[in-house]
Amino acid sequence: MRASRQRGFVLIAMSITMLLLLAVIGLAFDLGRVYIARNEAQVFTDAASMAAASKIDGSEAGLDRARAAVAQIPMHWNLGTREFTGIVVEFSADGTRWEKSPKDASAMTMARVTAPANQVEILFLRAVGGPDAFTVPAHSVASSNPVRLVE
Amino acid sequence: MRRCESGHAMIELAFSATVMVACLAGTFQFGYTFYVYNQLVTAVGNGGRYAATRTVRAEVDKAEIAIRNMVVYGDPQPATEAQPAVAGLTPQQVEVRWVKDESGALSAVGVSIREFPVNAMFRTFTFSGRPGVEFPYVGKYAPEEHEP
Repeated sequence: MRASRQRGFVLIAMSITMLLLLAVIGLAFDLGRVYIARNEAQVFTDAASMAAASKIDGSEAGLDRARAAVAQIPMHWNLGTREFTGIVVEFSADGTRWEKSPKDASAMTMARVTAPANQVEILFLRAVGGPDAFTVPAHSVASSNPVRLVE
Repeated sequence: MRRCESGHAMIELAFSATVMVACLAGTFQFGYTFYVYNQLVTAVGNGGRYAATRTVRAEVDKAEIAIRNMVVYGDPQPATEAQPAVAGLTPQQVEVRWVKDESGALSAVGVSIREFPVNAMFRTFTFSGRPGVEFPYVGKYAPEEHEP
């Protein structure tokens, strides 16, 4: 009687422990990658917004050059292996109203770059009820005429 | 009968402990390596932003030293007892690369980690050339001026 009651214990204990272990692995592995992707995306949008803002000169051609400069930023995410996709470049005159294709290019002084589609695939946490993927968007704003703080 | 059960438990424990220790060791290795990589991304990002806006004069090597210090210590002119943002990182491990346009003016600056070994206790991972960033150069390029 006692032997038969003990027989399944190791299996149950192992199952519970493995589930907890998967959750810990998921926290370390998946969340680690999510944080790196978020950081990489933020650094990319910082560089891209500066590139865009540096091209704004009050003309339509300047806005085109800003978009082209963002497309040429050679940075990647997911440990530097994947290209950024779906990048959105917007412009504004005062930082309150943002437009992708502004009608009055001469008033534009600021650029905002958003990298919205960085989906980190979740490998371990999904086994314990986590999501299949985690999106880590990032955006940055830069002005074409910033106050110089660095010498 | 009881001795037989005790032997089973020992074998089961040995088997499950091996699997769990291997999983925990792997978790630590990857977790710590990701943690260090994330710190490096932040460090080169800070250095890249600084490099992109810094005035570059005739003494380009001085600007590069300041950029390397910014990556490693978060300060272009660190105090002598300053601690690196990432344990073990030195300014010599930071690569600064200037990109010039057709006119010879600076158009972009790249900052990356040359080679950085991460000792994750059970194994050492080495990052070569990554993480790296490239920022458009929006600072003042004045090769005719000299550093103060």
